[in-house]
This record gives sequence, structure tokens and C-alpha cells, in this order.
Amino acid sequence: MDHKILGIVTILYIFIFFLHILFFAVKKERIISFLWIVLYMTLALHTAGLVTRWVESYRIGFGHAPLSNYYESLIFYAWCIGLMLVIFRKRLTFPIITMVASLAALFLIGYASISPSVERKIQPLIPALQSNWLHIHVITCFLAYAAFVISFICGLFYFVTWRNIVPPKEILEDINYKSVVIGFPMLSAGILTGAVWAHYAWGSYWSWDPKETWSLITWIVYAVFLHARLTRGWKGKRIAILSIIGFLSVIFTYFGVNFILSGLHSYAT
Amino acid sequence: MSVTKNNIFRLLSSLSLAIFLLSFIAFGSILGTIIKQKADEEVYLSIYSETTYKVIKNLGLDDVFHSYWFVSAIVLFAINLTLCSYGRFLIFIKTSKKTDLPDENALTSMPISFRVEDKNSENTIQAVKKIYKTVYEGKDGLVLQKGMISRYGVYIIHGSILIILSGSLIGLLFGFKGYMVLQKGEIKDYAISRHASTKQISLGFSLKCKDFQVSFYPNGTPRDYVSKVEILENGKAIMDNEIRVNKPLFYRGINIYQSSYGSSLSFLFNIDGEQVTLGEKEAYEKGGFLMMVMRFAKSIHSFGPGVLVAYTEQGEPRSTWFLRDVQRLRAQKIQGLNIKLEDIQENLFTGLEITKDPGIWVVWVGFALILFGLYANLFVYFRKIYIRYTSYGLIVAGIAFKNKEAFKKEFEKFKTRASENGS
Repeated sequence: MDHKILGIVTILYIFIFFLHILFFAVKKERIISFLWIVLYMTLALHTAGLVTRWVESYRIGFGHAPLSNYYESLIFYAWCIGLMLVIFRKRLTFPIITMVASLAALFLIGYASISPSVERKIQPLIPALQSNWLHIHVITCFLAYAAFVISFICGLFYFVTWRNIVPPKEILEDINYKSVVIGFPMLSAGILTGAVWAHYAWGSYWSWDPKETWSLITWIVYAVFLHARLTRGWKGKRIAILSIIGFLSVIFTYFGVNFILSGLHSYAT
Repeated sequence: MSVTKNNIFRLLSSLSLAIFLLSFIAFGSILGTIIKQKADEEVYLSIYSETTYKVIKNLGLDDVFHSYWFVSAIVLFAINLTLCSYGRFLIFIKTSKKTDLPDENALTSMPISFRVEDKNSENTIQAVKKIYKTVYEGKDGLVLQKGMISRYGVYIIHGSILIILSGSLIGLLFGFKGYMVLQKGEIKDYAISRHASTKQISLGFSLKCKDFQVSFYPNGTPRDYVSKVEILENGKAIMDNEIRVNKPLFYRGINIYQSSYGSSLSFLFNIDGEQVTLGEKEAYEKGGFLMMVMRFAKSIHSFGPGVLVAYTEQGEPRSTWFLRDVQRLRAQKIQGLNIKLEDIQENLFTGLEITKDPGIWVVWVGFALILFGLYANLFVYFRKIYIRYTSYGLIVAGIAFKNKEAFKKEFEKFKTRASENGS
């Protein structure tokens, strides 16, 4: 049942992509209003999909929130990106950003539902994951990752000049900064809740596990971003480059560590 | 002399050094994740050439996070953060105490300001006072502000990082990391140190493993590991407890975690009527007869589990298999003795992680403070409003460092309020 709902969500994301294309072709503001309605619907349905999976897990007797394996994290990541778009709606007056962000969400859902290497069945929780810290840890981390997607898009478009389609540089900088302002405290909360959890599960709040280490590296990059901007008044290209480096580090923390390095966080593969 | 001292101080307290050190720590951490850590020499030599291995070893790249250069970078960063924040904090305290009211011209030239006619003055002041805290009130006017905590945010964040680092230092100095392996029924009063496997750490109480259980989901995934333990003090049972993954036992400042488990086998023999239990590689000797359990096999040619036993016959070493499920091979006559393999038992043992960390509460306080500091710094906005009495009434001006659009909107409200009240 949850797979069916998420299937429709996938189709809706494709539809959202084409709505953007249509807008760029005919430039009618009404398309944008319609597009946002579709985005809200998609997010609502996506939420319904997650809830269905949650309920389903209770029906088969495992009973846990859909935040526990690689498939569920991909789907949840996509959901967080949708949520970030809604949070940033007022600032996202240039649809190119919503387009790329929803493409990212589409990619995550698509990869989660199609890739043969992703286990889609609801799995029971192994002892290490049976903790209430799981929820708050995963939620804060992925909200941060989603905010950094927006920051990354702004960083990339900083190097593109395309009048009336790509927003002016000041707006990109502003959205970039605002998304890091959301992402950085979320990432901090994610790392700290992870540390508290690790204390209860493994007996040490910090053990330099690759995932921990990479999340710290990511944290440092965004800390440098904030200091460069707030204290040093960095602007423009340098800030854009920092947000790109930051997101590459996010990608490595999320995907790279799972596939390339081994460690305590091996549930997600 | 004092000039160079000054320069060193300036460098040590600079933001540039902070950014350099953070980048350095990040770079070191990357190395620590891509180079295998704390592995044996053979492992490195199977991956790298001998010269590369020498470089790795000499630079401590086989244990980056405990290498002298990495730890020094963190210590230097702590010093830098302290000096940098302290310097800024002094300046901040000085300027934040200033409640000077700028003159009329300065106020008019501020980006957000408006004039109020005399008859509306009182209403306007009251409207602002409702939301803002008065920090100065004099004959010439007022200074009001709000969100002061936001300006402390950055110092709270930096302070908490130092608190967390000192908490971890307390843990390193006065705590330990160890483990304990307990067979069912076994009692131990010490843990083995994780840093030196020969070092025993006395706990001050004893732990007895009464039972250990593993349960599985129908698909074979582990569901629960439970050690049922008893705490004994001076041989007297104090309390019973269950230790599970994610549910450690905290007792007298010592933390006991379920971390692993394993099994050992014991073989029950009946040797001429005598019940003998032997473990792997364990020998039995009686009256010139010697036998030893060599090795266990789960299944021998699908005949079920078996155990290889070595013995001596007139000084010659010999061996034979005992198969539990095959009658003919279960009981054998060796040197006139009737030997029967009665049973093969699997004994589970539990692996407990045992730690002590007196700095943990310091770390937790640091965690809570850093989150509060981030909230204060990023989501509370500091705003200041100046009100000066003029010949025509009032001039109101404001400054905000962040989220200026929202401040403008708030200001517009005061403005319309001021004109509405007059009409």
C-alpha cells in the first residue's frame, strides 16, 4: 500500500518538473500558483505514504517509524526536501530553485523505488536501533541535509547567469544563507542527539566512527561558512563555493560513508 | 619583546587561525576515515608499499585521532577559541553598555526612521515600550532594545564547545573504557582495559551473569540481547538487573553495556561411569590414560555434530571422531575404557562494555547550551530603537543587524499606530 502511494508521489514529482518546463515556455504566473498547489498535494500524499508504512509495520508486528533503513531514509530525505520548499516558499519567487529541488526529491524517491540494491521491505529493528533517540536523530539530520540541498542549489546557480530564470545574485546569497541558518542548527542537533544515543547504545558518545567523523567535517564546513559570512563579511563566489563544498561533504556523509567506508553506521546500506 | 608577544597573542586570538585550525582538523579527519585505523602491520603492508607504510606510521596516520598533531590542533583550537571569544566579549561588553542617544541628524539619516507629531508622542512611546525594554530614559529621549540574548548567543556557543572539550578531557583523565566477558554463572569484579589488554580495572563490586539470552525475529534478524546480572558487594547480592542494547546499567558511576556475545562448547563424556565435561583443547588424564578434545565440527558428512579426540596408545598419538548422532561412533572402547559422548552443549557468554566517564554531565550541559546558543544567535534578533524629543514632537529610529525586513515591518506598525492615534 505504501509503495502504491509513493508511486503516485513519484509521478506527481515528474508532473511538477513538467509544470516548471511549461512555465519557462509560456511564462504564465497562473502555472506557478497551480504548481504550488500540486507541490502541497504531493507533500501531503508523501506524508500519507510514510504514515501508511508506519501503520503497516505495526500490522506485521515490527512496529517502528519508517526511519530505520536505507530505503526509508531515502524516502524520508525526499520528504524533508518537499518540506523545506514549503518552509522557504515566500523566498522562492524564482521557480528554477523549486524545480531543481523537486528534481532532487524525484531522484531520491526514484532511486529508492527502482534500484535493485535497495531493500524495500519493512524490516524489523535490530537491538542497536531500538531507541527513542532514533527518531529525533534521523529527523534532525535529514532536515539539515534537505536545507543544505537548497543552499547547494543557490551556490551552483551563483555561477550561472540566465536573466529572468536564474535569480539575481543577492537573492541567491540570501536564500543560501537562510537555508544554512536552518540547516546548521539542525545538523548540530543531529550530531548531538546521535552522540547521546551512542552513549546509551555503544558506551561512548564519540568514537570517531566514519559517519560521526564525516558529520563533524560537514559541520566544520558550514561553521566556516557562517563565520566567513557573519564575521568576515564574505560574499559572492567564495560563499557559493563554500556551500558547494559543504554539500559535497553532506553527500559523502550520507552516501559515501555507507558505500566506501565501513563502520558502526552500517544499517543504512 | 613585548611587540612579538603582542603579535603572538594577536595571532592566537585571530579568526584566521580558527578557520585554519578547523580546516586542518577537518583535513586530518578525512585522512582518518580513508586510511585504515589501528590495524596490524600486515594489513597495512597488504595495502601500501613499505615506504608508504613507514610514512603512515611515522606521522601517526594509523591512529589519526590520537596522534600528537591532531590532538595538538584541537588543544590549539581550544586556546584560540578562548582568546578569540574573550577578546570579542570584552569589546562587546563595553559597547553593549553604551546607551548613548545619537543626535537628531544622526537619527534622521538612519535607514529606518520616522517623525511623530507632538500630540501622538505619548502613544508612540507606550506602543514601543510594550514590546521593547527601556535601557535609557532621560530628558532628551529614550533608548529601547530587545532580543539581547541573541548577542550573547555566539559566546554561549563558543563557551559550550570549550565545556564539551573539558568534559571529554575529564573523561579521558578520570574515566576508563573496558570490557568484561562473563560466562553464565561466572562472577567478576574487574574489567579489562581497552587500551592495554593486560590491565585489569577493579570495579569495587562484583558482577554475576545469571543468564544470557538472544532472541531472533522469524527472518533471522537479531531481536534482543539480554544479560541477566546480579550485583554483589562483599559477596552479598545487592540487586538483580537486565542489561540490553540501548538499556545499559549505571551503577556507582560505572556504566555497563551489552556489547557482544559468543558461545563456547563443552563436551560431556562418560568415561567408565565417570561424568567428565571438557572444553575445546581441554585434556583429561587418569591413570596413564590421556585424552584431549581437538576440534569440533558442526556436521560430518551430514551425520551430525562430531568431535575429534586425540589420545595416546602405548605412547603413540592417535585420534578418533565421536559423533553424537551415530550410535556406533558415539560410544567407543579405547584402551579398555568405555567412553561415550553424552552431549554437546553450547554455552553462551556475554560481552559487556564497561566504562566510567565522570565528565559525561559536563558534556551533556555543553550539548544543551550549544543548542540554546544556536537558537539565541540565529533565531532571536537583536533590535534597538531610539526615541528623541524634538521641537515638533519625536523622532524614532531603529537598527537591526539581522532579519531587517521583519524589523521594517514592525517599524511600519509603530508608524501607522502613531498617525492613527492622532486622527
